[in-house]
Amino acid sequence: MEHIKVVVHLLINGDAHDLAIAPEATLSEVLRGQLGLTGTKDGCGTGECGACTVLADGRPILSCLTLAFECQGREITTIEGVACNGELNPVQQAFIDAGAIQCGFCTPGMVLATIALLNETPHPSFAEIEKALEGVLCRCTGYNKIVEAVNRAAEAIAARLKGGTSCQTP
Amino acid sequence: MSDPLKYVGQPIARVDGPAKVTGKARFTVDVQPPGTLVCRILRSPHPHARILGIDISAAQKLPGVKAVVTADDTLKIKHGFVETPRYPADQYPLAVGVVRHVGEEIAAVAAVDEHTAEAALKLIKVEYEILPAVFDPEEAMKADAPEVHPSHPKVTEPFRNIAGKTETGWGDVDQGLAESDYVRTDRFESHLRTHGYLEPQATVASWEDGKLNVWTSSMGPFIKRKKLAQTLGLPLSAVRVHKSYVGGAFGGKIDLFSHEFCAALLSMKTGRPVKVVVSREEIFAAYRHGQPLIVELTTGVKKDGSIVAQRIRTINNCGAYKGSGVVVIFLSWGFAMATYRIPNMAYEGFAVYTNNTVRCPQRGHGAPQMRFAIESQMDMIAEEIGLDPVAIRLVNARLPDEQLPNGDNVHNCGLVECIEKAAERINLRERYGSSRNKAAEGGSLRRGVGIGVSAYFGGSLIYPNSSSVIVKLNDDGSLIILTGSLDIGQGAETILTQIVAEELQVPISQISIMAADTETTPVDIGVWISGNAYVTGNAAREAAMAVRHKILEIAAQELETETCQLVLSEKAVSVTGAPERRMSYAEIYEASVRSRRGDPIIGEGHWRTMRDVPTHPSLATAKGRWTENYAFDAQAAEVEVDIETGKARLVRAVTAHDCGFPINPLNVDGQIDGQVSMALGHAFLEEVMMENGRTLNPSWLEYRMPTIGEMALSESIDVITESYVVGQPYRTKEVGEGYVSAILAAIANALYDAVGVRLYTTPFTPERILKALKEKAQADSGNA
Repeated sequence: MEHIKVVVHLLINGDAHDLAIAPEATLSEVLRGQLGLTGTKDGCGTGECGACTVLADGRPILSCLTLAFECQGREITTIEGVACNGELNPVQQAFIDAGAIQCGFCTPGMVLATIALLNETPHPSFAEIEKALEGVLCRCTGYNKIVEAVNRAAEAIAARLKGGTSCQTP
Repeated sequence: MSDPLKYVGQPIARVDGPAKVTGKARFTVDVQPPGTLVCRILRSPHPHARILGIDISAAQKLPGVKAVVTADDTLKIKHGFVETPRYPADQYPLAVGVVRHVGEEIAAVAAVDEHTAEAALKLIKVEYEILPAVFDPEEAMKADAPEVHPSHPKVTEPFRNIAGKTETGWGDVDQGLAESDYVRTDRFESHLRTHGYLEPQATVASWEDGKLNVWTSSMGPFIKRKKLAQTLGLPLSAVRVHKSYVGGAFGGKIDLFSHEFCAALLSMKTGRPVKVVVSREEIFAAYRHGQPLIVELTTGVKKDGSIVAQRIRTINNCGAYKGSGVVVIFLSWGFAMATYRIPNMAYEGFAVYTNNTVRCPQRGHGAPQMRFAIESQMDMIAEEIGLDPVAIRLVNARLPDEQLPNGDNVHNCGLVECIEKAAERINLRERYGSSRNKAAEGGSLRRGVGIGVSAYFGGSLIYPNSSSVIVKLNDDGSLIILTGSLDIGQGAETILTQIVAEELQVPISQISIMAADTETTPVDIGVWISGNAYVTGNAAREAAMAVRHKILEIAAQELETETCQLVLSEKAVSVTGAPERRMSYAEIYEASVRSRRGDPIIGEGHWRTMRDVPTHPSLATAKGRWTENYAFDAQAAEVEVDIETGKARLVRAVTAHDCGFPINPLNVDGQIDGQVSMALGHAFLEEVMMENGRTLNPSWLEYRMPTIGEMALSESIDVITESYVVGQPYRTKEVGEGYVSAILAAIANALYDAVGVRLYTTPFTPERILKALKEKAQADSGNA
């Protein structure tokens, strides 16, 4: 079958890409299929599980429901782009330390949603955590340790800001 | 007094954490060899039909289609979750002549992309003759019901569609009931739930030079290799299942699935890699879910609450093929007898074919359904005879070293302590009954507390029956573990690393683990029989021990002392009391290669549960031993009910657990939290709604799994009954699926405590709660 392609200019994790894509290609398809950034997970393809969450200009979006075409001119951050100079982002570290990871399939989406939350709300209440993460399903943890990870990450970021750091979280 | 444990028993962060948190962990859905074709599967739209003809010619001609297969392209070899002489394999990978449930696989396509594969499916013409269908198990048992399959030849009752029957018992139940001071009979029903694994079912197969390479989202590479080889007519050695991380399974990824077979067959046909990722809608509508059980329960007790006799009848709606339906009716008996002493018992369980989707194991595999029934009735009996829920359980709870009717022993059973501690933590004795139907502040919210208990087996004998592990010393003193075990989220890689670290005193960071590859790692029982920590863990310990022996022998020889004078610490061996007489593992490696004909120090270890027992017990009679590791728990729940809306929620869960010895307390807590969450979904939210074999809610929008908004407080209390001593075998118990059951019962009991209504059917939806409240109000006013 013949497929029409369009060329898009995408900025992913700070790298510029010119890509020929199908106009109906979703961001998750382009990230996973064309760029090999398979850290972005697709659990349902219909925007229900949130595993595909990535950041667009720092705000969480569902990459399975977003056309890649629409992402031109926006800074996209995926899970591959949140560690800095080989050092884990404090949110990533907090998820490991708190035991907030089991199967790991929701983890990229959870971590990115948490990063977006903490950028806007450095010391979130439980209600704010609940609101920020309610769109990302986790079947393994019951969410208890994810909440703990978010709180630990908030503390770690606060401590790091106090100490001064060269790494910027997205 | 031995040295304190440094790695085992510690809350060590999972070793696959960095890979998973950076997106580097490769799941099956991420495997994409160059030139991979896309596979899609044609499924039956009918619950029961004869296939009169399949025309694939138009699909084959579509540009971009590389192969189309139907049953005629297969060897027509059946497979089944159970394959025993009594219960032989009963399902073809692609339907032969008849389809028996909506979604049954008929044909598969490999094409250059998804659009083409989907288009090709639409071009396949199937001519059906619709057959009568049956969906309710009790309807299906009737003599005039449509026949899904003939009843099992050894079942003597005049029922139709009986896939299998378990019948067992002891003592004299009729006499026991006659001698009881109080007897009651109740019927409980549970509903259809699904696993909800986040990673969809997915398989990549690549046939290269006579070898089938497979990556598949599974619960054990060796069982998949066996079933693929069997159905494809290949020798085991021609199939290699590679490791990929698994995005959750919960029982739902054990069986051979047709998509795995089809990807393999299509790769063999085309000579190209073939990938299939099953859509979420297909998983909901066509795949295997858990097992709804009907439980009819008669129990007789003495005045003190002690059980005299129990009669149990279960009916399992097992779907269009046996799946694990004949296992659930056996296990349900086990879940009934393990917790309480029952002097007289009669049990019968029927697995009944219907034209529903096939069922498979689901975390707990019958235990939530059975414990919901027994523990609900326990509270009803307690109330009738004037006991509190704790007292009646303590009277009946099994004590250490009790022998079970099947020859198993509960060993260091901590059930009594679990009950006492869970009750105490939630203050159950004082609170139970005290606030029933009372609003704290005059509003519509009511709160109640309840308790339940459960027991779960681990590491039983099922193919391949044993686990082996290899530990290799590197020339820098670090270690490599080779294991066939698979991390599906439960932390298998982490706990095996901890055990090897402890035995050899090598830091976690200095141990790498190669897992779950049928060619490069040794055989493993798989992560679906709750035996990883015990069976594979002991194999890892034995392998590390073998390395330890060699290290000590060489060090004794080089340091001119006895092995009993040596201590291991931080990748080195030193002489007790003379730390300067020391050899690093790197030096020991070098000495071994030099003095022992090149031996680089490799250890192997093997473990099999119950080594004197030849095989698993009879599913039909329950005779024969099942496990040497029963985990016990008591769980308490605090539930809030809004009597205006009928909406109920789990506020707080307390789990007092005897998991033996927690090798990683952080993982244990994580398993408990996850099971509490799954149970609250079971209790309040989740139901696969089916009508005439079709799924009405095939998405997560319509099938509500708990979100962070439903999170309950989850507290755990360790009741430690076993110990871990370096150099000795250990007996630990499972934590991965036993804690999804008692909490469900505790929720049901807490709901009763809150509002005084008893629900006999799950889930506890607002509609059911309101209806029960209304009926209660009518009854109360009638009595007034």
